[in-house]
Amino acid sequence: MKVTLNWLRQYVEFPWSAEKLSDRLTMLGIEVEGMQKTGGEFEGVVVAQVLTREKHPNADKLSLCRVHDGQGERQIVCGAQNFSAGDKVPLILPGASLPPKLGETSFTIKVGKIRGVESQGMMCSPQELGLPDAVDGLLILSPDAVVGQSFAAYLGKSGSDVVYDLEITPNRPDLNSLIGIAREISALTGNPIRLPIIASLPLGNELASEVTVQVQDSELCPRYTIRLIRGVKIGASPTWLKSALEAVGLRSINNVVDITNYVLLECGQPLHAFDFNLLRDRTIVVRRAFEGEKFTTLDGQERTLTSQMLMICDAEQGVALAGVMGGRNSEINPATVDVLLESAYFKSQSIRSTSKKLDLRSDASYRFERGADIGICDWASQRAAQLMVEIAGGSIVPGLVDIQPQVSPPKTITLRFAQTNQLLGIAVPAEEQSQYLKNLGFAITTNTDSVTVTIPSYRVDLKQEVDLIEEIARLYGVDRIPSTAPMGVVGSHPFDAVYDELGAARSVLSGLGLLEAQGQTLISSKSANLVSMEVIALDNPLSSDMNVLRPSLLPGLLDALSHNSHQSLHDLRMFEVGRVFTRSADTVREERRIAIAITGHRHTATWSGDEREARVDLYDLKGMIEEFLERIGLRGYSCQRREGVSNGLFLESATIQIGKQTLGEFGQLLPALAKQYDLRDAVFLVELNLDLVLARRNPNKTFKSLPGFPSIRRDIAMIVTESTTHESVLAVVRQLNPANLDKIELFDVFRGKNVADGNKSVAYAFTYRHAEKTLTDQEVNPVHDRIVAELKQKLSASIRE
Amino acid sequence: MSFLDQIEPLKQQALVDFNNASDLQSLDQVRVEYLGNQGKFTALLKQLGSLSKEEKPAAGKQINLAKVQMEAALAERREMLELQSALPKNPTDFTLPGRRHKLGKLHPLTQVTDDIVRCFRKLGFVVADGPEIEDDYHCFDALNTPADHPARDAQDTFHLGGSNRQLLRTHTSSVQIRVMEKQSPPIRIIVPGRVYRRDNADATHNPTFHQIEGLYVDKHVTMSDLKGTVEFVFKQLLGDEVKLRFRPHYFSYTEPSMEIDFSSPVVKKMGKDWLEIAGCGMVHPQVFKTVGYDPEVWSGWAFGFGIERIAMIRYGITDIRLFYQNDVRFLAQF
Repeated sequence: MKVTLNWLRQYVEFPWSAEKLSDRLTMLGIEVEGMQKTGGEFEGVVVAQVLTREKHPNADKLSLCRVHDGQGERQIVCGAQNFSAGDKVPLILPGASLPPKLGETSFTIKVGKIRGVESQGMMCSPQELGLPDAVDGLLILSPDAVVGQSFAAYLGKSGSDVVYDLEITPNRPDLNSLIGIAREISALTGNPIRLPIIASLPLGNELASEVTVQVQDSELCPRYTIRLIRGVKIGASPTWLKSALEAVGLRSINNVVDITNYVLLECGQPLHAFDFNLLRDRTIVVRRAFEGEKFTTLDGQERTLTSQMLMICDAEQGVALAGVMGGRNSEINPATVDVLLESAYFKSQSIRSTSKKLDLRSDASYRFERGADIGICDWASQRAAQLMVEIAGGSIVPGLVDIQPQVSPPKTITLRFAQTNQLLGIAVPAEEQSQYLKNLGFAITTNTDSVTVTIPSYRVDLKQEVDLIEEIARLYGVDRIPSTAPMGVVGSHPFDAVYDELGAARSVLSGLGLLEAQGQTLISSKSANLVSMEVIALDNPLSSDMNVLRPSLLPGLLDALSHNSHQSLHDLRMFEVGRVFTRSADTVREERRIAIAITGHRHTATWSGDEREARVDLYDLKGMIEEFLERIGLRGYSCQRREGVSNGLFLESATIQIGKQTLGEFGQLLPALAKQYDLRDAVFLVELNLDLVLARRNPNKTFKSLPGFPSIRRDIAMIVTESTTHESVLAVVRQLNPANLDKIELFDVFRGKNVADGNKSVAYAFTYRHAEKTLTDQEVNPVHDRIVAELKQKLSASIRE
Repeated sequence: MSFLDQIEPLKQQALVDFNNASDLQSLDQVRVEYLGNQGKFTALLKQLGSLSKEEKPAAGKQINLAKVQMEAALAERREMLELQSALPKNPTDFTLPGRRHKLGKLHPLTQVTDDIVRCFRKLGFVVADGPEIEDDYHCFDALNTPADHPARDAQDTFHLGGSNRQLLRTHTSSVQIRVMEKQSPPIRIIVPGRVYRRDNADATHNPTFHQIEGLYVDKHVTMSDLKGTVEFVFKQLLGDEVKLRFRPHYFSYTEPSMEIDFSSPVVKKMGKDWLEIAGCGMVHPQVFKTVGYDPEVWSGWAFGFGIERIAMIRYGITDIRLFYQNDVRFLAQF
């Protein structure tokens, strides 16, 4: 909502500069989002009053004056002789410039010393201001000039002004008007609000016989009023009216329409003017539209209505979409002579849904849907009618049609003084609290510990005690509420520990050399379908790039890899910890996962070393998974190769199992997909269900004594078929449960020379150790020989001696 | 020349020769020359037996002393030459870059979230969590924002459809309701998490972003300690020199409500006096009634702010989309 400084000043006085006003409004809860000074003549010249005039200590012809500029006192050195204390004069403030004389550049006033005494501005002659009157000395202004007013405004010229763009919160529809803002200023300053004076309208009730009004749906239209102005002459608006509207961004249309808009801005009440002679049978009917009824609004659009929408009709057809926009068929036009002026109150929800359904918003619908003032209908109608008579001529037909079947008594709310202080943490005395409420223009009745407030109809936001506490907080100033530390309570929530576990997981992963990524939750169905066909789609996506919830972190990581690859960055190692969303049957599930993606060189680029060109492979990834799970405290998992063609993402992959549960899957990305994502090297991916990892982990640690006796190592090198897995070797050994076997380590896998195709040579180191003594060969050999024999038999291994 | 007179000059000569040996091999040659089986000094030693009984003790003492001295000198020289030979042929360039095993880094949003959480935990807050897929009730209705409320305009919501009108939460405030439904007061939680708004991505918007929500409910909770808490946290996060400004505002689920602006040299550099950073207020009595708390007994406050915004201010990031692009040159900076 836009307001101007000068327009506001018509309704209330305030001793503030433009900047100060902006600050005060902001601190009152009306945030000033923009502030624009509009030019004008006599910038920086104000009406000032000479308080004292004394001789200059160092110059006979000069005088030293104290002058009030409306904000405060200034010391001015002056050479003129034609004035005395009490006179009001134009004063140009430092920083402002005198209008340039022909052929000269303008002269800017500065604070400076004249004969050793500082002068903070300059009192002006008409010549200096470029005015036609010739006076020897200062321009003496009329005694009723307002000190502090801009000189331009004093002259009635379109002086400089300030346009404020205010953010009005949705709870305060009353602030969508100049008078509403003025009321707030009045509450803050204690200065009275000055409403425009409306001369008494002609008495009588001739209107009743001129027009028939029928409200068929008083639920959607609780109040409807009509006035009739006959004999107007449609034309251009006077300059003041045009410029008032234009200053706040409204286009001038014609005098009658401009007046309805002016009054709307002034008091917030939307008005509608019909060309009375275009209404059939001099009749107004307020009813719901018929389902599918067609109606052409003022903007020339034909709209299809529903039975939920409220229409204003004449005897035969719709003439306005109630509270939203008038109709083409009855609008004010150059030939209009008689104006039927509507001032009504419509139910906010109805206007809101109509305007939303038709995607049609107007200044009127904006105000009605937030909640208008049911009490102001008549006042606004009187104000507009009178302006029409003044500006467009014509006369008001005596009388008012006012249909309001249910008049509710004003609401009252009781505020306990102690409650204010308890909630805000301050001690505002009872009288002060009452005073704030009075300043807001509320009628109050004070009791011992409380005050009962009658809520004016325009304050639709005030419903209960706490709303009044907010009013007191605003006027007291939230900046004055002290900052104290809260009392010592320790909260509790089961997630608190999980938060730390997630942090620990992230920290292990970054320790493994992985950068943490954060992907979009919303991804394209195309990339989601790489992983799952059961995705959760948005009803109202913004674009097909982001139309489903991610069922996995992997598509997002692939996007991240791809983005980097396009920047010629090919050595990438990343992880993400995040939520994914899956659907099974009719339920949706949120699950935390971790995912890793690696590709490119194994080692950071360096200038020497044998492995410089090495690329990461599956076992780099697996090493990370093993290290991660060990650090998190998950043991006893196993890997199972997925046979056949896997789920569309992997060339080859394995699941990680713990018991019967699947923790996740890892493997190599399909080369075709890598190519599609513009990835140069092989890509290895893993995704694990982090909720499950955390649930199945055992983070407890117990100390095991350090070995006190030496161990004996025996190596076995053997040739086995390619299908013999490492796990199957371990299984053979585990089944024997060999005595004193401390650990088995695989230390070589070899294919090639002396190993037939389809076979491989594997070498294991077996370490035997006893906790309480040094083992002897005699103790170890039989055990070891049994292992060898078993491997030979079970795996058809041939032992290389 | 007498036997005794021969010892000293031979020893002196040996010491000179030892020192002149330029490498281990020539040192060994010199050693053999003096101390080998056929060595000059060994020869002298051998003569010791031919001396008279009277001469023997003094001569023996002197020759042994000389031998010890020679061996010590030899050892010293050897040690030095060994050290020399261990040195690389060409001196090492200590300015060459090292071979690094780079550690990964946490995403800047994670780091900022962790910092915020740390500040609140100092004040006894614990972290809580809730679903991102929400329903109308928890996201709006229970927060005193019924369907026809104009405040719903400000938040364009992603809907998932279905019979229960699921949606993506537009704020973490929905977790307030979930926690209060389950726990009785006192409550002191913070809720970091992802939220969703139907805004097209641009430099300041991403349909997914992060918020952190705080809720404190107890007896005698005041607006004064809301201000104290928020000030403490922002000063910890953004430095002591930041200035905070609270001004009245409107949120449907708090009353009174305030917005918080902050000012700092960074904000001034952006050409502004104040930058809006958070919203807060006293929990609306209607919200308490909805979750079954008696507003006459309990009071509380809540606040919320965007994590991206804090990160952008802290690091001087000007485009929110960078957080979700995962460019490694970006991620490696924090």
